[in-house]
Amino acid sequence: MKSELLKLNDANRRQFLLNAAKTTLGVSVLSGLGAKMAAAEAVSKSGPGTPGFGKAKRVIYLWMGGGMTHIDTFDPKTGETKGFKDAAKAKGDNIGYLGGYLPKLADVADKLAIIRSMSSKTGVHESGTYIMKTGYEPRGTIVHPAMGSWASHFLGRIKDKTLPDSVVVNSGSAYPGSGFFPPAMSPIPISNPETGLQNIAPTASDNQFKKRIDLMNEFDTGFRKKFQSEDVKAYTEFYDETLKLMKSEDLKAFDLSMESTDTREKYGRNNFGQGCLLARRLVENGVRFVEVQMGGWDMHNTIDNAMTTNGNTLDTGFSALITDLEAKGLLDSTLIVLGSEFGRTPDVNENDGRDHYPLAYSTVFAGAGVKGGYAYGSTDKDGRRPADKQTSPQDFLATVGHAMGLPVDEVVMSPSNRPFTVADKGVPVVDLFA
Amino acid sequence: MAALFAAALNLGAAEIRTWTDLQGRQVVASFVRLEGGDIVLQTKDGAQYKFALTKLSAEDQKIAQSSAAAAPAAEAAPSFLANATVAQAAAKVDQLVAGGLIKANPDRVKGGKAPITKFNPPASDEQFVRRVYLDIAGRIPNHDEVAAFLKAGGSDKRAKLIDQLLDSDGYKTHLFNYLAEMLRVKDNFEQDNVRGTPYIGWLKEQVAKNRPWNEMVYEMITATGKMWDKKPDGTYNGAAGYLLRDAGMPLDNLANTLTVFLGTDVACAQCHDHPFADWTQKQFYEMAAFFGATTTRLGGKDFANGDRGKELMDQIEKMIASNPELDIRRLRNGLQNYIGANRTAIKDRAVNNLKLPHDYKYKDGKPGDAVEPKFVTWSAQDKNNPAYKAAKKEKGEEKLRESFAIWMTHPANPRFAMAIANRMWKRAFGVGVIDPVTSLDNVDDASNPELLKHLANEMVRVKFDLKQFMRIVYNTRAYQSEATTENIAMGEKYYFQGPMLRRMSAEQAWDSYMTLVLGQPDQFKAPLQDLYAKSIDLNLDTVDPQTVLIKYDAYRKIQQKENELMGGGLDMAGEDMMMAGGARKASTSTKKTEPADDSAQGKFITYEGMRLLRSAELPQPAPGGHFLTDFGQSPRNLIDGSTKIGNVPQVLMMMNGKAQKMLTSPDSLIFRSMEKVRDPSAKVETIFLSVMSRKPTVNEKDIAKRALAQGEDGYANMIWALINTREFMFIQ
Repeated sequence: MKSELLKLNDANRRQFLLNAAKTTLGVSVLSGLGAKMAAAEAVSKSGPGTPGFGKAKRVIYLWMGGGMTHIDTFDPKTGETKGFKDAAKAKGDNIGYLGGYLPKLADVADKLAIIRSMSSKTGVHESGTYIMKTGYEPRGTIVHPAMGSWASHFLGRIKDKTLPDSVVVNSGSAYPGSGFFPPAMSPIPISNPETGLQNIAPTASDNQFKKRIDLMNEFDTGFRKKFQSEDVKAYTEFYDETLKLMKSEDLKAFDLSMESTDTREKYGRNNFGQGCLLARRLVENGVRFVEVQMGGWDMHNTIDNAMTTNGNTLDTGFSALITDLEAKGLLDSTLIVLGSEFGRTPDVNENDGRDHYPLAYSTVFAGAGVKGGYAYGSTDKDGRRPADKQTSPQDFLATVGHAMGLPVDEVVMSPSNRPFTVADKGVPVVDLFA
Repeated sequence: MAALFAAALNLGAAEIRTWTDLQGRQVVASFVRLEGGDIVLQTKDGAQYKFALTKLSAEDQKIAQSSAAAAPAAEAAPSFLANATVAQAAAKVDQLVAGGLIKANPDRVKGGKAPITKFNPPASDEQFVRRVYLDIAGRIPNHDEVAAFLKAGGSDKRAKLIDQLLDSDGYKTHLFNYLAEMLRVKDNFEQDNVRGTPYIGWLKEQVAKNRPWNEMVYEMITATGKMWDKKPDGTYNGAAGYLLRDAGMPLDNLANTLTVFLGTDVACAQCHDHPFADWTQKQFYEMAAFFGATTTRLGGKDFANGDRGKELMDQIEKMIASNPELDIRRLRNGLQNYIGANRTAIKDRAVNNLKLPHDYKYKDGKPGDAVEPKFVTWSAQDKNNPAYKAAKKEKGEEKLRESFAIWMTHPANPRFAMAIANRMWKRAFGVGVIDPVTSLDNVDDASNPELLKHLANEMVRVKFDLKQFMRIVYNTRAYQSEATTENIAMGEKYYFQGPMLRRMSAEQAWDSYMTLVLGQPDQFKAPLQDLYAKSIDLNLDTVDPQTVLIKYDAYRKIQQKENELMGGGLDMAGEDMMMAGGARKASTSTKKTEPADDSAQGKFITYEGMRLLRSAELPQPAPGGHFLTDFGQSPRNLIDGSTKIGNVPQVLMMMNGKAQKMLTSPDSLIFRSMEKVRDPSAKVETIFLSVMSRKPTVNEKDIAKRALAQGEDGYANMIWALINTREFMFIQ
């Protein structure tokens, strides 16, 4: 058997080992073991001591909802698929150009690493979003955790803070949230960065509010004594925790009015810009994972108009976030990633727009030891297919997990006893890190 | 024997007669069966007794033998009266629960808990009225409803209230909520413009008609066509929504079907052999083969004249080009999607396309192999089960789904009746006889297997009438006991000495808030529910371009129409609104309709943008940031996907949210109810009856007095405090 193994080339040997594992070990241990072997064989190694591993103490995930056009943003082309605007020269070594709608980002491109060879299988918003946030295809029988919840699982809840581990900005829903992990690991949704945490302000004066709390506890004494249920106790703890948060100094993290007008203007006076600013305040105060959502990318019609507005919003907010984090000395330990459910068709359609296109798209990294001015992988001349280093959504999220120092090949059993790993056996792109 | 005679009751149903033993003692009971040398009799309270046949008088022994001869199938028949009264049926259930309680004790003592000797004490009228409103009508009772029940006399007042609530609108919305969560019912399906509205409407209709469960499920599995096809009786083909909910994902849909309706834990086998149970991936695919000829998206060949989508668009583009005000670039996509929605339909084709997956890795097949449809079995005896035989009658690829549906919904299917009976039991007690309710593979895992089997038999006996089944459950002594006060750990077996303490579901909490604001929240319904079906429907075989444009325009205006109907403030809630409704009817009958009245038709009330409607009348699921979402309503992605666990945003909402502000505002119904009484202690009682469904204790009256002495906000503070108690949120 040993000699047989030696004759095989690398790829075959991996497959051989996988098959051997399947036949000798049965199914339930397979996924973890297989993933470990796959990772061990891969060019990119993850784990302590490898480049970038664990450098990201905090992550800000910029989510471009609707399917961000790759050609008009981070993978511009000059040929027949060019679109409506000339590209902008990017600062740094091998990025070359960014879309003409992103001049400010082009100026800080020496801080960016772009994966231009992303490729996925689904052109549907809902499942594309799900895969890019959990690493798994949606199933009707389980919900997988988002990255912030994986981090809470492996790294533990953040101690000594009343703030949550993770937050989603510009959304009313935390979905997919903590998935099969406990709800306490779910991000807290912030619908609007201007108003911050919903319902945090008491509807009555401090004095009256205290009276109400006391009265509640008095009326409830008999019930709490009678029912020794853990569920009842847990609720009482949630009330205590919430009251603590309402009085907490940490709440200032949610208060954008504490920023100067200049700073607020610099990020752009819109939900995305202010969301980026809020994200900076949150990570500064110890929140581990912040997702900032931006919509408007589903540009089926008149993409030039749509990009003029949306491009400017992204350009302003993202570039401000990079320079601000750097000025605060946080960029080295904070990873910014940008992702979207898919790209858009290279060919402009009859409505002067572009349609859904999962076969090729881009994701962007910055901070936390990421190489600056670096493009990983590329697409062919018209942006239709990855030309080299094809990267899956799983690889993309595994890279985020690697940066956070998560054991991406460790198998975790769900409560229903099904095996899962961070990013479904994706292989981290360790080459992104210096 | 002595117990039997002590339990003797008056003569009841026709087959009930007086039996006499050799000592001359008599019992009124019905004959059940002979078992070896024993006879089994059942008294009117449902209890069964077995004793030696030779103890009966000679004459009665003969009658017993002839009864047995007359009913040779009695051995196999379910062990209960075919036409038991609700009280008898409930008593039989109690008897089985009581038996289970005693059997549980060795395990309890091992776990360090005191043995159980009997049911929890009977719930008080105050506890009962709140619980039964929440469990049946899905909301707390309003002030007057509590007062009326507490005042009413008669030993049958609980049974009467159960009957009354089972016939109420609240029953319908509450059961709809349960089924919608179980079936993952949504407004927005994944395809553009495809909404679950007709499916939701259909489900509500079935619940309102109390359609037998087996018939409902049969229709969901076998429906063909679009959801918005109109049927001869004028209703929509909403049952198609069950398969279309998972359009393009037939394997996921099947995994859910098996999990929900049969409680087979076979979802794992979708991707690989089940690691713990006996299910194999092959078996899963054999089951999937029953759906292998079914499509959920029509292609050119599925239409009589091919797909006319492109031809229609070409004609429409020419029409639009002739109007300088319209920009085709902005309209094209919307129109294409609008037409495309009408391709979302179910059709059975002549070829079964189901194949083993590309990564199939077991020896009993190769990737890409065709798979023959075959039913799973739970035991060797299942081969002779009538459900399997009945399903064989349907032949041909187009009949595969029918065959599956016949098998699955058959009364003799080994798990179908049991799965729904166990679920319905859980609704009343907070935990299933076997739990999780999605895993019934091993019946012996149940905390009380005899009870579980009996409930399954009862479900068959009442012919899948869910209302009748629940009537029996709610009338049991077990249900009408106090809630259990000890902590029950997660996964610990529970034996039903009374219901578990349960947190309100998100829907119960919101609907209870609505009761506090509106008094009778069921009077407000979401308007315009069939506008969607009417405007989305195109017959792609025949429709002309003009009609497409007219209907598309109507389709785009639905939202606008809905917005126009929002209106009315808090002060319109409660009795005032009911009076306005009355006046409206009067004015239409005089044919002189006031324009103002006319516009009030179908209106609902809003408060700071919240629609004050019951949860079943709101979008499914409610949008992010809604009270229901924060409270743990299921996002409708997973079976039974709600949570009852607290979190910070939820508590913040309970303390500082809009809904809270609404209840403590002077316009709210509680304040207006308080206006009716002068005396502060009567006002306090009004608040307690409205919020807690009970009168305040002496101690609470003292607390209230102190609170009121502290200033004019006293009443608002009290309402706030009571709504934030654990007592409010938990159902005891």
